[in-house]
Amino acid sequence: MKRDHREISGATDYSSGSGSRLDSSSLGNSIKGKLWEDDQDAGGMDELLAVLGYKVRTSDMANVAQKLEMLEMVMGTAQEDGISHLSSDTVHRNPSDLSGWVQSMLTELNGPPTPNLDPVLTTFDSNSSNPQSQSRDFSDDSEYDLRAIPGVAAYPPPKSDSDPESTRKRVKTSMSSSGSDGYGPDSSFSSPQENGIPGAVTESSTRPIVLVDSQETGVRLVHTLMACAEAVQQDNLKLADALVKHIGLLAASQTGAMRKVATYFAEALARRIYRIFPQDSLDPSYTDILQMHFYETCPYLKFAHFTANQAILEAFATANRVHVIDFGLKQGMQWPALMQALALRPGGPPAFRLTGIGPPQPDNTDALQQVGWKLAQLAETIGIEFEFRGFVANSLADLEPEMLDIRPPEVEVVAVNSVFELHRLLARPGGIEKVVSSIKAMKPRILTVVEQEANHNGPDFLDRFTEALHYYSSLFDSLEGSGVAPPSQDLAMSELYLGRQICNVVACEGMERVERHEPLSEWMSRMETAGFSPVHLGSNAYKQASMLLALFAGGDGYRVEEKNGCLMLGWHTRPLITTSAWRLATAETGAMS
Amino acid sequence: MVQYHHRGCHRQGNHETVGENKEKRPKFFINDHVDILIEILKRLDCRSLCVAASVCRLWCTIARNDSLWENLCFRHVSPPPTSVRSVVLALGGYKRLYMGCVRPVRSRLGRARRASWARDEVQLSLSLFCVDYYERLGGSNSNGRVVGESSPSSLMFLCKPVNV
Repeated sequence: MKRDHREISGATDYSSGSGSRLDSSSLGNSIKGKLWEDDQDAGGMDELLAVLGYKVRTSDMANVAQKLEMLEMVMGTAQEDGISHLSSDTVHRNPSDLSGWVQSMLTELNGPPTPNLDPVLTTFDSNSSNPQSQSRDFSDDSEYDLRAIPGVAAYPPPKSDSDPESTRKRVKTSMSSSGSDGYGPDSSFSSPQENGIPGAVTESSTRPIVLVDSQETGVRLVHTLMACAEAVQQDNLKLADALVKHIGLLAASQTGAMRKVATYFAEALARRIYRIFPQDSLDPSYTDILQMHFYETCPYLKFAHFTANQAILEAFATANRVHVIDFGLKQGMQWPALMQALALRPGGPPAFRLTGIGPPQPDNTDALQQVGWKLAQLAETIGIEFEFRGFVANSLADLEPEMLDIRPPEVEVVAVNSVFELHRLLARPGGIEKVVSSIKAMKPRILTVVEQEANHNGPDFLDRFTEALHYYSSLFDSLEGSGVAPPSQDLAMSELYLGRQICNVVACEGMERVERHEPLSEWMSRMETAGFSPVHLGSNAYKQASMLLALFAGGDGYRVEEKNGCLMLGWHTRPLITTSAWRLATAETGAMS
Repeated sequence: MVQYHHRGCHRQGNHETVGENKEKRPKFFINDHVDILIEILKRLDCRSLCVAASVCRLWCTIARNDSLWENLCFRHVSPPPTSVRSVVLALGGYKRLYMGCVRPVRSRLGRARRASWARDEVQLSLSLFCVDYYERLGGSNSNGRVVGESSPSSLMFLCKPVNV
């Protein structure tokens, strides 16, 4: 055993062979003494490691550390593929030259590396005492959820206009430290924890990329989405294009809700970039079918219907003739429950009149009439006097109240119902004002409005994008938790229904962008300015809603909240849709309870 | 339950010294007294009622009688107004209401149930039942009722197993 006597006292072993024997008593002293001293010796070797028998240049430390971690990850993955060839076929180099050894291992497993890594390095490993040199700095927490997306995306790739040709390997999330021997107990090379794995991702090099665990990728995916949206906003379409492709690849490594959301958003961004706008004039009956599946899979629409019905029922009280105007009849799924409740009313059922409004059908079939006929059959079965009229209109703003044959309030009580219809009117100037004044002309006893609880109508594209990302992520999460088995058609159709909304929010502009969701506060101020005053949805509605939600498989995730007399349904802490009820502020006859 | 009653009567008949004949055969055979049988079956729970339906043809007929299921539906609830009956019968009957709506609703809510909710449970079940009927009305079926495997899906969420 050679012993080199260095300046520092204490016998330390600097032999270059492996398996050096150490003088343990002096080892502690020497290590402690060494830690904070300037330890650049002539050979440039890191002395701590050298104690254990490995020669690593101090200047190389960062590099080697990163490569070691990559190697561990790759080996962790490669266990599925089988790395047994390494034990038999590999040329085993002298592991004391740690840098070279790791390099050769990586070469075996990955293919020819490029000599220098020119990526955007990110590190989440705050434990590492050798921070990677990085061209970008993130301030990231290890706990990351979508709510903490930074406002400014901080992830552009170094080159913008070349196609990424990277191959990727997926890495398992849990890394058990395989073979800690050879890596040494030194804490600066601790085996990577779940959140602490750095990775090298390049946009445009041929270096094989080792992706980190999917939680990490999830964060990266969100960052990339944000960066792409920002690029689109800045009209930097080349960059956006490259990013969109990157998103697609990243999304493929995810599972479940995150993957679907990312895919839809990526598609919407791509449409916006390439200006391939989706045909808005799609078959309305197809949209209806999609909405039906959405109705069946999750409670949002049922919640909307039940709460609105409750408000209407209470407003009708003891009236003898009632008239409901439905701004979006679709399949009429809201009305059987109301009719049943009216039929079992203590004083007996009233005469029920329904006016349904719907879009024109491309094949000229009278979809509204068919729905009306079904409802008439139901009415006859349960013993209610029923009358139906259907109106076809391209937009609610085209409607004139005179067309609807409203009878005077002494004769019949009117209720107006709008489920996810009013926000579309914000697309054209003056639309909403016209409709609201039409509603006032109808003199309804009650107006029920159900809208999405989100701000997707801001002037700034990036803000809209961020909001939509949060909103639809929650929605998709709730679909995942709905207990429907994955390869179900219902689930797929529901997701498609939402996907089309996403496409509209992100890719369209102007009159075409109809999914202009606004939060409750906006609607409240709008209604109040127009001359309506709120009607509080009572405890009955709340009870019914809570019970309904408890019936759903994902029941624990859904929450009903009451806010300003309106009911909000949300997934965990995020409210998603809101039901509110309104009456004319100058109502003369009979105050609402 | 009835068997127990039967046995009791049997024993009673055996040890009867005063009164009618001293035959060894029991005098009381429940199937002769359908009204008593109905009273008894009315108080059974769903599972027992289904079991009872497998006993003999008479019991089967009685157990399928809708009024028994009406009792099941409104068991813990104060009796509903009579108008409910006509509506429910028109929509498909109490047995269907119970099996399709009330039972899953009760079992799903079983964890978080409160006694005051019993009435609301029934109301909710009725609403869902009506929606179900409406859905069955649609489609290409001319007679308006689709029964069987292609059952409508608006109650699908009730049939799916609960994710615990």
